[in-house]
Amino acid sequence: MRADAQALKGHLDTLLLACLENGPRHGYAVKDALRQRGGERFDLPTGTIYPALRRLEAAGLIRGTWTGQDGRRRRVYELTAAGRRRLAGDRASWADFAAAVTAMLEPTT
Amino acid sequence: MTAPLIESYTASLRRRLPATLAEEAAAGLQETYERHLADGSTQDAAARDAIAEFGQAPLVISEFTRQAPGRRAARLLLATGPAAGSCWAAALITSRAWTWPVPGAARLAFGTILLLTVLALLAAATSHSSYRRTRLSVLACPVILALDATTITAVAAFAPAPTWPLAAALTVSLARIAFTTRTMRRLTAS
Repeated sequence: MRADAQALKGHLDTLLLACLENGPRHGYAVKDALRQRGGERFDLPTGTIYPALRRLEAAGLIRGTWTGQDGRRRRVYELTAAGRRRLAGDRASWADFAAAVTAMLEPTT
Repeated sequence: MTAPLIESYTASLRRRLPATLAEEAAAGLQETYERHLADGSTQDAAARDAIAEFGQAPLVISEFTRQAPGRRAARLLLATGPAAGSCWAAALITSRAWTWPVPGAARLAFGTILLLTVLALLAAATSHSSYRRTRLSVLACPVILALDATTITAVAAFAPAPTWPLAAALTVSLARIAFTTRTMRRLTAS
């Protein structure tokens, strides 16, 4: 099953934070991580990741710096301490929510 | 060599977005294009597939605009308007401000500037596809500071006696000055 951009809207921030959890990445690598870790389920125009990263940066959840590599300038993002706290909170909330929904959807006998 | 479709797309980003945002998005599109080229596509096919994957330029520009710091700031500043306006209305009515010796031209100028500022903030807050329009909030911030400072100065100069509603309105204005100053610093740094 593929989740479209509309369905992802409420969760995109958490997914992007999760993509940065294991170290800094530039926008294109974040897009690749989202695709690979999501098992190709997330279907959103990848150009919309860049504004979302800028918004997370403005909120102090990630930090972006320009780097030069292979003769090409890229903006690399990493989680801030606030971003790590937010990711941990979102992860716990999601686990509770998913457990509750799973319990509700169990077939009753 | 880059395909004309990619060049035209990145030119559109550069025309409509601040340089650093356009540069970052263009680099992402270029990498997507190069990935398709490496997979064996022709230049034109790689460009078409890269744009289909990345999203059309108006969509990406609209997302940058929707999430622009200036748009968010304008919404927050507009949200403070009703609270500050109500406090000042109550304070000025209870203090019979229409009897203060403030020149009519000064009242008119104040009202006109206030109205223009609100319109500028509304334009920034409702922008969907023009990033430039969201930057109007950068211009509005110093004007809001000046309006609040003018109001406080006018009260200090002309109010016959301090009252509780005036004290409450002054507190709201001072809080808004602090908030607007912080917002302006963030906007000019972004």
